[in-house]
Amino acid sequence: MPLYNPELEKAIERIKAEKAKVVCIQLPDGMKPLAKEIEEAIAKETGARVLIWLGSNFGACDVPLGLDRLGVDLLISWGHNRFHKLQEGW
Amino acid sequence: MKVLFLDAPYTGTVELCPETLQYFQEKNIKTVALYASVQFCNNLERVKQQLQERNITIVSSQAKRTDVPQQILGCDNYHNSLNLSAEQLQQIDAFLYIGDGKFHPLALAYGQKDAKLFKEIICNDSIGKRFFIITKKDIQDTLNRQRGTLLKFLSAKNIGVIITIKPGQEHLQPSLALEKKYSDKKFYYFIDNTISFDQLENFPFVDVWVNTACPRIGLDDQEQFRKGVLNLNEALGAEELLQRL
Repeated sequence: MPLYNPELEKAIERIKAEKAKVVCIQLPDGMKPLAKEIEEAIAKETGARVLIWLGSNFGACDVPLGLDRLGVDLLISWGHNRFHKLQEGW
Repeated sequence: MKVLFLDAPYTGTVELCPETLQYFQEKNIKTVALYASVQFCNNLERVKQQLQERNITIVSSQAKRTDVPQQILGCDNYHNSLNLSAEQLQQIDAFLYIGDGKFHPLALAYGQKDAKLFKEIICNDSIGKRFFIITKKDIQDTLNRQRGTLLKFLSAKNIGVIITIKPGQEHLQPSLALEKKYSDKKFYYFIDNTISFDQLENFPFVDVWVNTACPRIGLDDQEQFRKGVLNLNEALGAEELLQRL
C-alpha cells in the first residue's frame, strides 16, 4: 500500500469522460516512483497515450507549459488541489 | 488543455500521537488553529475528536490561496494569508499542523515574522508518528539575512526582478509597482520557468534580486542568491518592514 492514494479510479473516469487520447501525468517527487503503475493502469483502462512529466511539481501553480502544442488533451496533476492565484502577486 | 488535480490523500490513520497530546496537557493548551497539507486536510475527523475529548477549542479558516478550509500551502506565508481575524489570532494558544515535513508549517512561522506575539506551531507528523515544535528561533537566521538584504536593497541602484512563467506565478504586472515606488533605481526584468540559480552569476551588474515566483524562494533559498534576494512584497514595503523586524 503506497503512503498516498493515487486515486486511479478518478483519473480513469475523467480520461474516459473527456475521451482524452493523450494524457500527461505530473507527480510530486514522493510519488514519482508510482509513475510505472499509473502509466500502465491508465494505458490499459483507457487506451490513452500517457506522457510522464519529468520535471518539477512544486504546486498547483506549477502546471507544465506547452503541452497543448504536443496534442495533450488532459493533464493529471497529483498531490495538489485547485490554486487560487491572487492578482496582487506576492 | 484541461487539468485534473488529485489530492493523493494519505492512506494511513490521521491522528495525534501520544507525544502531541502530552504536550497539550503540559502546556495547558486550550485553543488551537488547525491546519493541514492537502493530503491530510480532508481527513481530520479523528484529530478533531481527540481535541474535543480534551476540551481543546479549534479555530479554523480557509487560507486565501487554498481550495478547502484548514488547508495550508507553502505560499500562505504572509500575516494575512490565513484569513484569521486579529481576535482569533489573539485567542489561540498555538497553531496545530497535521502533515509531514517542515515546509508547510514553516509558512505559519513566516506569517508571524513581524508579529508582536509569536504563536508556536505544534507539528504532528502522522507518517513518522512524531511531533515537533517550530518557534521563531527556527526562522531567525532567515530573518536576520532578510534584514541585511533590505538594507542593501534600499541603497542599491540596479535591481534584477525575476518573473517566472508558471501559470500560478507570472507576476510581471504586480512587479511594475517597483518602478513607481523607487524611481531612483533601475529595474531589469528576467524571465524564466523554474529559476535557474546557476545563471544568476552571469548578470554581475545586478546588485540585489527581487523574486516574484514562489515566495518561499525569497526565504528558504536565500543562500542561492549571493547578491541577496527579497520577495516582491518585502521589496515594496522595505522601509516599513525594516522597522518591524
